[in-house]
Amino acid sequence: MKNLLLLSLLISSTAIYAGHHEQHDMNSMHSHEGHIHNEMVNGKNIDVDAQRFDTFMIGIDSNAVAVVSVQGMVCDFCARGIEKTFGKDKRVSKIDVDLASGKVLLAFPVADDIDSADIRKKILNNGLNTTDIQIVGK
Amino acid sequence: MKTLIIFLCVLLSSASFSRPISYVGGHTLMANSGSLTDNIYWHYTPNINYSVGLDYQRDKVSNEYFPSARFTYLINRKNTAKSQRNLYLKTGVGLNDSNNHFYSLAGDWETRRLFTSFSLKQSSGAGYDMFEQSVKLGVAPYLGDYGDLHTWLMVETKKNDLGNKRITYPVLRLFKGGALIEMSYHEKTDWDVHLMYRF
Repeated sequence: MKNLLLLSLLISSTAIYAGHHEQHDMNSMHSHEGHIHNEMVNGKNIDVDAQRFDTFMIGIDSNAVAVVSVQGMVCDFCARGIEKTFGKDKRVSKIDVDLASGKVLLAFPVADDIDSADIRKKILNNGLNTTDIQIVGK
Repeated sequence: MKTLIIFLCVLLSSASFSRPISYVGGHTLMANSGSLTDNIYWHYTPNINYSVGLDYQRDKVSNEYFPSARFTYLINRKNTAKSQRNLYLKTGVGLNDSNNHFYSLAGDWETRRLFTSFSLKQSSGAGYDMFEQSVKLGVAPYLGDYGDLHTWLMVETKKNDLGNKRITYPVLRLFKGGALIEMSYHEKTDWDVHLMYRF
């Protein structure tokens, strides 16, 4: 009976999320149709999922955004730590953490508030490493 | 003696449970319920290199309580774009009797799809020593985004020099946001349930 219960838990959790992620995959395919965000900043292309970026920008069109590339961000606990850390920073108006791409989007109403050294320090305080920070809309 | 052995075994097993160091300023609360003991463990991360914590355990057989203090030090961490690897030194000492203590070397390597960890632990008490080694392997059947329910199917194997028998059992780990539940089952020890919340 106990083995049956464990088996049922395994199967049900897997089945529920298999369906959920088919939907995610389809969304990401659509996001690349007609949404190009290869903006040039300091001679670099912005490497970020277009649909995700569009969704993130809803309601904060005038904000500057720091696109942070992070290493070691492999689980929800890492992502949650980043959200909690930057959530305490009053200069940051919105946060998005993308585990799949290892990107963190940070919106700042005042572009001059973006402090790359401070962002790197906060990421490091989560046990992760910053490899690149690109600024959009500054 | 039997009570002490149970205390040390559970103290050690919960010590290897999951990420023992949080983000700076982060708190983690864990609860464990097994066939022989219940315990609550809290730890705080003041610095990215270490965490400090307190554990409070109840022996269901004798109805005795065992408080202990814990310290975990991050020896080494390697981050890549798709993985994280950690090596930890862990130690704990009984607050009622400092003769009861343990130290452990533990490591893990994790991607979004695969998980593996090991632990080597030495525990001691009055006239008592035990060495235990364990390995855990896991796979995520799907890749969730941040905020989704994440599932890990795992297998853990353990061996100590007291019983000198290896036990291997399945583990189901589910987590979402800051909450995690881990359930394992073995025919000898029955169900073991861990809860964890990070804040």
